[in-house]
Amino acid sequence: MSDRNHSAPVWQAPVELEPLRPAPDGGGGNRPGPDEFAGPAGAEKVRDISRWNWAVPAFFGGVFALVLVVLAFDASDLLSRAFASGYAFGLGVSGLLALVVFAALWLALDEAISIRRLRRIDALRAEAERLVIADGHGSAGHFADAVSGFYRDRSDLAPAIESLHTSVNDAHNDREVIALIDRQVLAPIDQSAYNSVLRASRDTAVATALSPSAALDVVIVLWRNLKLVREVASLYGARPGRFGSWRLMRRMLANLAVAGVAEGLSHVAVEALGGSIAAAISTKLGQGMVNGLLTARVGVATMVLCRPVAFTPANRPSLGRVRTELLSVPKDVL
Amino acid sequence: MSSKFPDWNNLAGFGEKMLDQALGHVGSLAGRMLEGNVRLGVTGLRRAGKTVFVTSLIDNLIRGGRLPFMDVVASNRFLAARLRSSPDRSAPRFAYEKYLANLTATPPHWPAATTGVAQLRMALRYVPVSSMRRSIQPISTINLDVIDYPGEWLMDLPMLNQSFAEWSSLTLELIEHQPRRQIGARWLHWLSTVSADQTADETTAKEGAAHYTEYLHACRRSQANLSLVQPGRFLEPGELAGAPVLTFCPLPAPASGSAPAGSLWALMSGRFEDYKTNVVRKFFLEHFARLDRQIVLVDVLGMLNAGPAALHDMRMALTACLEAFRHGRGGWLSKLTGGQIDKVLFAATKADHIAASQHGNLKNLLDMLVSEARNAIRFEGATVDTMALAAVKCTETVTTEHQGRKLACIQGTPLGRQKPTVLFPGSIPDGPDLFPLDIAQPYRFMDFEPPAGVGRDGRGLPNIRLDQALNFLLGDRLT
Repeated sequence: MSDRNHSAPVWQAPVELEPLRPAPDGGGGNRPGPDEFAGPAGAEKVRDISRWNWAVPAFFGGVFALVLVVLAFDASDLLSRAFASGYAFGLGVSGLLALVVFAALWLALDEAISIRRLRRIDALRAEAERLVIADGHGSAGHFADAVSGFYRDRSDLAPAIESLHTSVNDAHNDREVIALIDRQVLAPIDQSAYNSVLRASRDTAVATALSPSAALDVVIVLWRNLKLVREVASLYGARPGRFGSWRLMRRMLANLAVAGVAEGLSHVAVEALGGSIAAAISTKLGQGMVNGLLTARVGVATMVLCRPVAFTPANRPSLGRVRTELLSVPKDVL
Repeated sequence: MSSKFPDWNNLAGFGEKMLDQALGHVGSLAGRMLEGNVRLGVTGLRRAGKTVFVTSLIDNLIRGGRLPFMDVVASNRFLAARLRSSPDRSAPRFAYEKYLANLTATPPHWPAATTGVAQLRMALRYVPVSSMRRSIQPISTINLDVIDYPGEWLMDLPMLNQSFAEWSSLTLELIEHQPRRQIGARWLHWLSTVSADQTADETTAKEGAAHYTEYLHACRRSQANLSLVQPGRFLEPGELAGAPVLTFCPLPAPASGSAPAGSLWALMSGRFEDYKTNVVRKFFLEHFARLDRQIVLVDVLGMLNAGPAALHDMRMALTACLEAFRHGRGGWLSKLTGGQIDKVLFAATKADHIAASQHGNLKNLLDMLVSEARNAIRFEGATVDTMALAAVKCTETVTTEHQGRKLACIQGTPLGRQKPTVLFPGSIPDGPDLFPLDIAQPYRFMDFEPPAGVGRDGRGLPNIRLDQALNFLLGDRLT
């Protein structure tokens, strides 16, 4: 108890302060805007214990530069050959080239923006964690502003943010403010994200149960998982872009592998059982359920990654409802 | 003709009546199962803020605009609350409207001290969580019963387990110490002129009771703000003013060990027993015996102001009177019939009298003060929590600069003044060393007037953590 940071070291007798003069930072007029918010302020950076080797960046940087040079040579080669075979043709090719370059830049920019948004979510989450652990008072106002700034252009969240601002007062400590953000702003998002997860896992389950080939299974799972990730991420205000975060990708790849393997297994199983129709149907259904559950796992992982405040044990989304939902799939299919 | 014998000419009517009654019983039992009653015991010593707490609780539940931490409100399942007539018609109704009018008047003022018992029932309507319950009953209701009473009466509860001899010796032991010794000098002087064995006569008894009552009043008024003053009806007689049951006082035990019939000791002892059976036990059975939830309001700041003696006294008083309640965790049967308190919240009230950054320390201090009572209750199986709250928030926390240091101050109108001011109320230490020897009076927490225009916005009275308290106390019954 004695290591609390707000215990006053010097005795201060009760005193009345006249006239009324709040300190300049009490009014909240010069709080940092949402864009100025720059990660956990006091948190020490975890030191990278792996040894830094100059050769690694030099190698990859060099390779990248070489590829760029090769591409530039090829492009100029291509252009000179195109112009040599005709002026109009040359113009057409250079137009195409410009389009490709422009599109590539556009994609890169898009990706950069989405990565930046994900980074901001990560920073928000780290800040929330720091505030909860510090258990102090008076610094969560900035965090609330940062979160509401992050969702500034979301008209569907405007009432929630409005009610957050009316219910937070000066008596709430940092933990309470974060709990209020959690239950007033994020809980409705959680609800709709969970509904998309439910829908996606049902879709995948039904579609893979009905699909005739393993290749089709893989395609369905890939497409539906990608769509789910984008849906959930955009609900939380993150844009995972085409690559999103590597953790999500890894989970998805694991899913795809299971979709393929499950198909292989089902053949073995059906042959072992004598290839009756019932057996075939039941293995197909089982396989669909597995795919559905895995899709749900991807969805929940996306929710965890995209939430500006980490889930608490009390509100962590569970796969329980997904399971019961999936158990009703056989009825729908048959 | 209505007698207990049926009218033989109208057997059919009689049968119908019986059936009606039976159905009525079944109906009320079913209603009890489906509706559910919660009796909330608002427990607190004198000046702990019971009346204001109950008023704010009712107002906030009715308006519902400042309860973001109540799960039922946050998940949009709470429909509305309204006042109902209490099933017990004998006790007066809690004058919620009057107290609210006091608080919202211009200029606002606090309700006067409670002098009698009052109760109120509220019906809370909500949508149940489980889909199965929703299919039976789309909208559920629970009845919340709250009672308000003078905090002095609470101090009578420990007397239930004591005989006159035990009570007398405890009281006389207490008065041996300062500051009581000085306060009770006149009564002690009277005590030295009488003996327990002398023949009883009404004048002596009245005299003794008058001196003793005066001593109790002086204890209550004193700088030390003493809490352990028994019997409570001597201070707040309620409807019993002037009744002979209130004319007794503790006596030193007779030298021979027992006193003859007709002696002063026998008379006082008889009246003490009368007081226990007819006043204390009646009050306890009517209002406290079947509580489901309990909140214990403690004015920690007031006790800190009054000094170590007051703090010690309050601690003893609280531990003693909480022993009378039945805590524990009952099964479904006790849920149906009521009977055991399975959740207890200790709350340090008037948390708005200190800066918000001090609330953590206030809660820790309360933890420390009630640790014995809390452990005893936990041992019985009930869930216990502590909290720093304010039923009506009268101040704002602001940061100001004073002699080069940043201070977390509060802004509000101190009691008895017209204009708001900013003041540094002092801080609460986070260690056990509450009263450093080198500082004469380390705490001077001030009381505040209710802010002007409070509750005008129609969202309920502003409060600190009232919603978390309600969620702890009632949250599981509103699912």
